[in-house]
Formats: sequence, C-alpha cells, structure tokens
Amino acid sequence: MKEFMLFIRSEEQPKADLSPEQLQKHVEKIGNYLRRLTEKGHMKSAQPLETEGKILASKNGTIIDGPYNETKEIISGYYHILAKDMDEAIAIAKQDPRFEEDFNWRIEVRPIKKVEGIN
Amino acid sequence: MKEQKNTYTSSLAEHFFRNEYGKMVVVISRYLGINQIETAEDIVQETLLKAVENWQQNGMPPNPEGWLYTTAKNITLNILKRDKNFQKILTKERNIDFKTEENLNFSDNYISDEQLRMMLSCCHPNIPENTQIALILKILCGFSIKEIANAYQTSTETINKRLVRGRKLLRDNHVGLQANVNINKQLPIILKTIYLIFNEGYSPHFKNDIIQFDLCLEAVRICEIIINNPHIFDKTESHALAALMYFNTSRFKARFNKDNEIIDLKHQERNLWDQRLIQRGIHYLNLIMNGNKETISKYFILASISMHHCLATHYSKTNWNEILMLYDILLNIENSATVKLNRAVIICEVQGIEAGIESLKPLENEINKANTYLFHATYTDFLVRKNDLESARVHFKKAIKTCKNKRDLNFLEKKFSNLVPIL
Repeated sequence: MKEFMLFIRSEEQPKADLSPEQLQKHVEKIGNYLRRLTEKGHMKSAQPLETEGKILASKNGTIIDGPYNETKEIISGYYHILAKDMDEAIAIAKQDPRFEEDFNWRIEVRPIKKVEGIN
Repeated sequence: MKEQKNTYTSSLAEHFFRNEYGKMVVVISRYLGINQIETAEDIVQETLLKAVENWQQNGMPPNPEGWLYTTAKNITLNILKRDKNFQKILTKERNIDFKTEENLNFSDNYISDEQLRMMLSCCHPNIPENTQIALILKILCGFSIKEIANAYQTSTETINKRLVRGRKLLRDNHVGLQANVNINKQLPIILKTIYLIFNEGYSPHFKNDIIQFDLCLEAVRICEIIINNPHIFDKTESHALAALMYFNTSRFKARFNKDNEIIDLKHQERNLWDQRLIQRGIHYLNLIMNGNKETISKYFILASISMHHCLATHYSKTNWNEILMLYDILLNIENSATVKLNRAVIICEVQGIEAGIESLKPLENEINKANTYLFHATYTDFLVRKNDLESARVHFKKAIKTCKNKRDLNFLEKKFSNLVPIL
C-alpha cells in the first residue's frame, strides 16, 4: 500500500452558500464516504482546515507573515489515504460525494514520496 | 482520524437541518430582537456549518438537536461578548442581562410559541402576500434564497429584494414578537398563507418536482406546528386545512409519468397514491367530526371532496353524488368561476354530458385571465365527449392560445391530438 495526500480545494467557502437541506445532504454523504474509507482501511487521517491562515515568506533575510490568499482558491481540507497505486487513489477521490454538488470542488491527488530512512 | 463513536448514525431525520434552522432562528431573533433577524439567520447558518464539519468527521452526535442548540447558544453569546451595540440593545431596550443565558431558551414549548409568533409577524397585513411567503420560507422553513427562487420560477435577486424589504417591514411593524397579540384572531391569515405556499408547490405547472414537493411538505409542517400549539383554541380550521393538504399531497407523485408529463385524475395509477398521507388526512377530518363545532368552512369542504377522490378505488367508483353536494355547499361559501368550473366537471359525471355543457356555458362571461385556459380546456373535453369535434376545435384553439405554460400545453396537445388539424 502506498500513501497519498488528497487536498480538497475550493474557492472561498462554498459550503457557506449551501441551504440547510443541502448541508444536511452534504454531511450525510461525506460522513458515509469517510466511514466507508475507514472501514476499508484506506483512511489514515482526514481533517478540515480553517479558511484563514498565514503564509510565511522570507524576504531579504526576514520572515514575513502575510495574507496568504492571493488567489481565491484555498485548501479546505485533506485526506491522508492508503491506496494500491495512483489509479486506486484517483478512484477513491472520484467517489467523493462533493463532486455531486453544484460547486467547483477540486481534489488534488499527490503520492507521498518514499524516501529511505524517512518513511 | 478520530475513533468513531459507537453511537454513530449515518443519517438524520428527513429535513432535520431545515426544521432546526427555523427553530433556532426564531429563538435567537427573539433573544436579540426582531431588528437583528438577519444576524440570527447568520448565526444559525454558522451553527449548521460547524455541525457539518464536526459530524462528517466524527459521526452524528447522539443528540443532534442538543448539539446544535448548544453551539448556536455559544455563537450568540460570543457575538454578544464582542459587540457593545448588541449589549446595549439587550440591556437598555429589552431589559435582558446578556451575561445570563436564561432567555436563550431552546425548550420545545418555547420554540413552538416562537414559531407561531414568527408566523404571525410574517403574515402581518402590512406585508404583501408574496413577501409573507418569502419570509416564511426563508426564516421558518430554512429555504435558501436560491431554493425559493427555484420554487417560484424567479431570480435570486427578486427574492433577495423581497426578503430585504420583508425584514424591514418586520422591524417597522414590530409585529407579534413584542405584544401578546391575539393569535386566534389572526389565524385565518396564517392559514391562508400556508395554503398559498401549498398551492404553489402543488401546482403541476412547473417541472421542478423536488422543490415543489418540498413546498407542499413544508406547508403541511407549518400547519402541524399550529395544530400542536396549545395557545390556539379552535383548531377546526387548521385540522381542515391539514386534511386537505394531506389528501392532495398523497396524489402528488401519481400526477406525472416517467417523461414528466401530467396525468389527469382519471388516468392516474391509484396504487401510487400514498396511503399513509391519506390516513393522516382522515385522522384530521375525524378530529373535526368528533369535535363540538359545526363547520362548513371552505377548507373542510375541499378536504371532504379530496377525500372522496382518495377513497375511490377506481375513477368510475367515485362518489360523484356526494362530491356534487359538496360543491353545491362550496358555491354558497365561495361563488367563484373556479368553483363553478370544477362543479361543471362533476355535473358531467352525475347528470351527463349535456348537463355539464349547460352548466359550463354561462361561465364564459365570468371567467378571468387566470382560468380562461382551464375553461376552454374543460369545454374542449366536454365537446369531444359529446363528439362535437367542430365546436371542440374552436375551444381547443382558444385553450392553446391562452395556455401560459409549456407543461400544460403539452398535456393539452397530447390529450386532444385528434383535434389538431392536419396541415
């Protein structure tokens, strides 16, 4: 089994515009999805992220913490999963019920690099 | 990922969020004051968002309502702590010590009373009807602006404007939430608005069935809130309206075929009618029959008519005589062209096609813009049954000309396809 990071990307906070009815469908579907992944042993961890944060950048030797959302797109959460290969990781990401919603959700699938002595 | 709790349930009660939305908004806006209704709506939306993030990770809590109420309470109190303006409003204008939370009460009885008060406020006579409806759907039913716009086939901007204006009217009129107004006296207005919401949902003109069906369910649910509230003394009318809506809703899904075309009562598959809903309707009619009050109200008559349709195992087995009698009574209450038009259809079944046509004829001068199409469509139907195709064609053309929406037009053209002149 290989490890993958799935980064959930969206513009601003799409959920803020969902109606109560849509929010309920969202929580039920995503909840079931995460539970299924856990039961099948794919899930290592999953967390949502706050929409606000800081980006640290070094400039002429000093570290500046600046506003980080220069683009509207943010990472709103991540899954750390186990999958056989990239294809399976993509298949898992595709099943995310977010894609059934009328918003521009994007999921970035990134294999975790195997480095001798680190992981 | 955190360990799943054993109490995990994968789903909530149907429309749980929507229902809880309305409950929390009324309680919080009661606490912060009607001026702050938009803040209350924002707080509740934030509460639901928090629930989503937490629950999708950890599973639903054993007591979802309690979880929501605690969270909503915390958000409200946090806003109060930060905002001196709110503190002033609460202490000076409303005489509430904002440091205590005793007035932020989420008990069932309190919620029910506040929902009723809010209905009363939304239905204030100074507020236009379509604004009343938008306010109720947004505040009490937790519909989003987009959902209301979809249901009413209009733009989100229009609905938003209506709501902004509506909230202002709520403030200006200070209705209900302050004074202990006579809820019982205002009840007919509330019931009328509920019936409007229901009819909008029940009307088969629009194709968005899911949202339309939801409108019907919400209308029934608001009516149930009234029925369950102990401050309403006379529930006869509420029971009658609930019965009417249950009977009609029971047939909702049988009215369309798989291509989403309208099927009329005669051709509906009756085993698709929802017996559970029919039983609810009968339950409420029984409550009226067993009560002390004699009633011949419009809702009661309409409910009784609808019940007769629901109970007939086949179109030909419908108790037309009884229904005609009910229409005669209805005519005494509401002497309108629409009632007469419907009555003509029943006369046709009881006394034959000639009598039906005779009762329809004089209506030509009485009909208004809204029911012109229906008049000509009914006339066409009668004349086709009489085999007077030439006259039928005249009315068919008029019906098509006055028909305002595509779905009705499709129905009409299909039903009378043999009348369409071959070019």
